[in-house]
Amino acid sequence: MKKPYRILFWLLVAVLLGPLVAAWLPAGSLPGFLPVDYQSSLLTAFRQLSITLAATLVVSTLISLILGYVSVLSMRLGRFLSSVLKAVESVPSILIALFCYAPVAVYLAKQASQVSELASLAVFIFAATLTVLPESVRGLAIPLGDLYHRKYSLSFRSYGFSKAHILSVLMKTDTMLAAVRHAAAGILLKTLVLDCSFGFVIQLGFGSYGTPAHHSPGALIAANRDALFEGGNPLLFWIPSLVLATTSIAFLLVLGQKKDARS
Amino acid sequence: MRFLRFLTREFLIHGVVFAVVGTVALALLYLLSIGAPPENYLEAGKSFLLLMTGAQDFSAAHPGFSAGRIIASGAAITLPLALASLLILTLIAVCGASFATTSRYLAVRHNQKGGLGSSRALGAMLGALAAVPLFVGFWVLANGFGSEAPFPLIALATVVMGGLGWDALSFLRADMERQLGTTYAEVFSTLGAPLGRVLPLPGTLSGYLFSSSLPGFIPYLAGKVPAIIGAVTIAEIVFSFPGLGSTLLDALLNMNTDLLLASVFILLCVNAVVAFIVKSILFLVYPRWYEKAV
Repeated sequence: MKKPYRILFWLLVAVLLGPLVAAWLPAGSLPGFLPVDYQSSLLTAFRQLSITLAATLVVSTLISLILGYVSVLSMRLGRFLSSVLKAVESVPSILIALFCYAPVAVYLAKQASQVSELASLAVFIFAATLTVLPESVRGLAIPLGDLYHRKYSLSFRSYGFSKAHILSVLMKTDTMLAAVRHAAAGILLKTLVLDCSFGFVIQLGFGSYGTPAHHSPGALIAANRDALFEGGNPLLFWIPSLVLATTSIAFLLVLGQKKDARS
Repeated sequence: MRFLRFLTREFLIHGVVFAVVGTVALALLYLLSIGAPPENYLEAGKSFLLLMTGAQDFSAAHPGFSAGRIIASGAAITLPLALASLLILTLIAVCGASFATTSRYLAVRHNQKGGLGSSRALGAMLGALAAVPLFVGFWVLANGFGSEAPFPLIALATVVMGGLGWDALSFLRADMERQLGTTYAEVFSTLGAPLGRVLPLPGTLSGYLFSSSLPGFIPYLAGKVPAIIGAVTIAEIVFSFPGLGSTLLDALLNMNTDLLLASVFILLCVNAVVAFIVKSILFLVYPRWYEKAV
C-alpha cells in the first residue's frame, strides 16, 4: 500500500472507531431529540464496550504472545496446547460465554453496583479470552515457527544462540508485528461480536434483570427491540446498531488489509 | 485400515468422546460455580446416563422431559438450520471465489476489467453485510416474518451477517488466486478450456483451480461449524423456535441442571455430526489430504 493510501486507510479506521471515543463525551453533547434516559444508557453501553474491548485486547494479546512463544519454544508443549485450544474452539463461543456468566449471575445481582460491574467484566474477559485464544495463538505461533525454520535463523543457531534468544529476536521482526496487529484485530472483532450477541441473548432471555452489570450495546438494542414496531421510535434500535456496524467495519478493514497483502 | 482409523478418530474421539466429555466438563463447571451439594452431581450424572439411553423421563428432578423430545428438537430445527447454513456458506464462497478469480484472470491476461469491478463490489457488499450484527439482522427478519420466517432465509442471514460468508469468500479467493499464478495453472489456461465464471465445474479453469484449493477449503469449513451452530442457537432464541437454543436459555433461566445438561449434550452432538459430515467428505474425496491434515 502506498503511503498516502496508508494514511487515508488509518484515517478511515480512526473515523469509523470515532463513536467509541465519542461515548466518553459528557451526556449533554448528544442530539436533543433522544430521550434523556436513553442517552445515558447509550453512552454507558458504549463506554462499557470500549472498556471490555480494551481489557480483553490487553489480556488476550498478552496470553497469546506467551502461548505462541512457548508453543514454538517447546514442540511437545505446543502440540499439547494446540489440542487443548482445538477442543475449546469446537465449542460455540456463545455457549462458553453463557456457561461462564450464568453461574455467577446470582452473585452479581446480590453485590453492590461497583463490585458487580468489576466481577462481570472479569467473567466476560475470561469467557472472551477463552474463545479468541485458539485463533490468535495459531496466528502468532505459525509465522513465528516459519521464521524460526528459515535460513537466517539457521545461521543464528550456528553462532550458538539459544532457541529462546532467537525466538525473542524474531518476535520483534516486521512479520511478527504484522501478525500481532492482525491477531489484535481478530480479537477485537470476535470480542465485539461475542459481547453484543451475549448481551442481546441475555436481555432477551432474562429481561432487564439478566444483565445487572453488563451494559452491552447488544443488551441496549434488545431492550429497544420493540421500537421497530408501529408507534415506536426506530432510531432507538438503529443508532446503536449502526455504531456497532461502523466499529465492525473498522476491524474488518484491518483484517482484510492483511489478507489482501498476503494474496 | 485407513477407514477404521478415520472412524476411530472422527466418529469416536472427535464425535462421541468430545460430546460426552464436553458436556461433563461444562456441567461440572456449572455445578461447581453454583455451589451445588454433592447429591446434585449424582442426580445430574444419573440423568445424563438416562438421556444417553433415550429414556422417556430422563430427569428425576423435573419429570416430563423426554429425551426423545429434546433430541427431536435438535434434529428438527438445529441440525437442518446448521446444514442449510453450511450449504449456503459453501455456495457463496465457491461461486464468489470462482467469479473473482476468473475476473482477475481476464483483467490480467486479456485486459478485460469489467468483471473485476463487479467482483470487488460483491466483496465490499459481503464485507458491509458482515459488519451488521447478526442479532440485528435476525430481529429485522423476525419483525417482518415473525416466527414464520423461512428456514433458507434464516440460514442465509446466518451466513452473510456476522462475517461467515465474507471470511469464507476471502479465504477461498486468496487460495484460488494464489493457484492462478502457478505454472500448472498457466499451462491449463493455454488449453482453451472455458473459464467457469460462476460455477467451478470440471473441465473449466475455475474448476481446475478449485480442485487444487478444495483440500484446504474443507478443513476450513469444518473449523467454521461451531460458529454456525452458535449463530443458529441465537437464531432459535430470536425467532422463538422450540430448538436447542431456546431450551438452553430456558434451562439457564429456571436453573434446571438436567435440561441444561440435555440441551448442551445434544448441541455438542449436532456440532459433532456436522463436523463429521464435512470431514467425511474430505476423507472420501482426498484421503491423503485428510491424513496430511491430521
